[in-house]
Amino acid sequence: MAKAMARRSEAQLIPLSFTLNGRLQEIEVEPHELLLDVVRDQLGLTGAKRSCDVQVCGACTLLVNGRPVSACTTLAFEVRGCSVLTIEGLAEDGKLHPLQSAFIEHGGFQCGFCTPGMILAAKALLDENPAPSEADLKHFMHGNICRCTGYKKIIESIMAAAQQMRSKS
Amino acid sequence: MQFQKEVEIRAPRGRVWDFIWDVDRFIACVPGCKEARTIEAGKKYAATMVEKVGPFKVEFPTTIEVLEREELSHIKAQASGADNKIGSRMKIDLDVHLRESNGNTALGFVATVDILGKLAALGHGIIKRKADQVLDEFAQAVKRRLEEDS
Amino acid sequence: MLRRFRLEEPETVAEASELLSRFGESAKVYAGGTELLLAMKEGLVHYERLINIKQLKSLRQIKSDNGAISIGALCTHNELETSPVIRQTLPALHMLERNVANVRVRQAGTLGGNLCFAEPHADPGTLLMALGATMVADNAAGRREFSAEEFFVDAYETSLRDDELLSEIRIPVPGAHFRSAYLKFGYLERPSVGVAVAFNSNGGGLSDVRIAVGCAGPSPRRVREAEALLDGKSREEAERSLAQAGQVAGSASQAISDLHGSQDYKEHIVGVLLKRAFHGAFS
Repeated sequence: MAKAMARRSEAQLIPLSFTLNGRLQEIEVEPHELLLDVVRDQLGLTGAKRSCDVQVCGACTLLVNGRPVSACTTLAFEVRGCSVLTIEGLAEDGKLHPLQSAFIEHGGFQCGFCTPGMILAAKALLDENPAPSEADLKHFMHGNICRCTGYKKIIESIMAAAQQMRSKS
Repeated sequence: MQFQKEVEIRAPRGRVWDFIWDVDRFIACVPGCKEARTIEAGKKYAATMVEKVGPFKVEFPTTIEVLEREELSHIKAQASGADNKIGSRMKIDLDVHLRESNGNTALGFVATVDILGKLAALGHGIIKRKADQVLDEFAQAVKRRLEEDS
Repeated sequence: MLRRFRLEEPETVAEASELLSRFGESAKVYAGGTELLLAMKEGLVHYERLINIKQLKSLRQIKSDNGAISIGALCTHNELETSPVIRQTLPALHMLERNVANVRVRQAGTLGGNLCFAEPHADPGTLLMALGATMVADNAAGRREFSAEEFFVDAYETSLRDDELLSEIRIPVPGAHFRSAYLKFGYLERPSVGVAVAFNSNGGGLSDVRIAVGCAGPSPRRVREAEALLDGKSREEAERSLAQAGQVAGSASQAISDLHGSQDYKEHIVGVLLKRAFHGAFS
């Protein structure tokens, strides 16, 4: 509300209607607003992190129409008519997604800062390729950086989740 | 970053020396330099340097101070400026030498260029190339101007 | 935070071109934004208007057309990576697109945007030169075609006019004996050296050899002097000339010493990549 009032009267406002974690959102944004800021500050979903701010580290990864994007370098209006998924929208009715369970079970995170982006990227990978080889996984996840784990547990977590998801379907 | 340039000019040393102190004509030889003004003749000058690399443009209001001067042979000067829009600073230490060379004048200079701030994000290599180009063009322009006038 | 700007969303290429003419330096074409938005976030550039061109559907196709593969400038790296047409007819381009930056950049970034921003440490331009690509540019007045070599002028500088849009990249459909490869090297976020090789190998000798180097210098360049050392030779003879060709290509790369490596180092890597790309093209 305060933000809307702070906007100059001549500001160009773009109506932004999109699905966020399964629910319809209808807001207005100015062209220069970044998706990461809108999601974190306006919509209160702080799972996505601002880390490198140059779309290299993946900590700001969100899924737009199922595909990973760097929210730090995406203009908010670009998600009009799209379906956006944040880490907060992954669990359904309090039940963790297999990726989330796997990361917990297999120790796929330490400080947790890269984790929301990591898990969302992994979801995009598995949606595209339910049975990735380790090479496939590494190639897809190449743009998500972790400073804590050394990646081994992350790979194990994703592979375990993949197997879990394949056996369920 | 350090650059060294030398040009041989078909003009006597005296004329080259006088040309250097003729601020308007001299500044006109520096690519991207405009609005040259004398603040204190022989000591302090001002100009605006505008340089472009692709879409990246900088505008440095620049102050040039003459630090040392040896008639007809040597000038030591320092130019500095800041572009607050882009958050960058520029400093150039210039050592200019004139000497006789077979009846012509060899004009040489050593320029130490420092670019600080955001512009450095463009990459040392790009800035170095640009600075080199500018200094090259400058040396050639001075030579051309002096030789045309004779 | 970005500084405020106005968003324009023209409905045709002509309209986009007119906006560029009208607003000049204060407006910029905006597609994926993967380079532009970074520069804007850094505060290195500012535009009062961004001209979104992503809704121009005519710039988005991949098709085989009259002996050439026509790629719309708005195709994302991901679209090129997953295109069956590209995979089958231009495998070297498929591999290159698959390895651009990271999955998120590939999702948003367009081939056209990559080429037009002309960032020195970029991949596609180098290979497009080796593939004999033609760039097609449009403005309100009409159309211009020129080679990939003519397209790149300097770091961050192309030969596009201020009111032109790059609309299409056309690559001749390779014949049965065509071989090509692109290899890059780097350990920073962007590649430090890139080498592309292409030639026809028809039992007898090599013909139509093309060699291009990129990333090491301010813009990609084709190295005819290196090509001449391999052209017309048998594979074995050409292999014996690879070291020299590598040296020539390295010198021609205009390598600059910077954080990516010293000039010497980059020139050396050019030679290494040329050798590997040459062999790789045969497999």
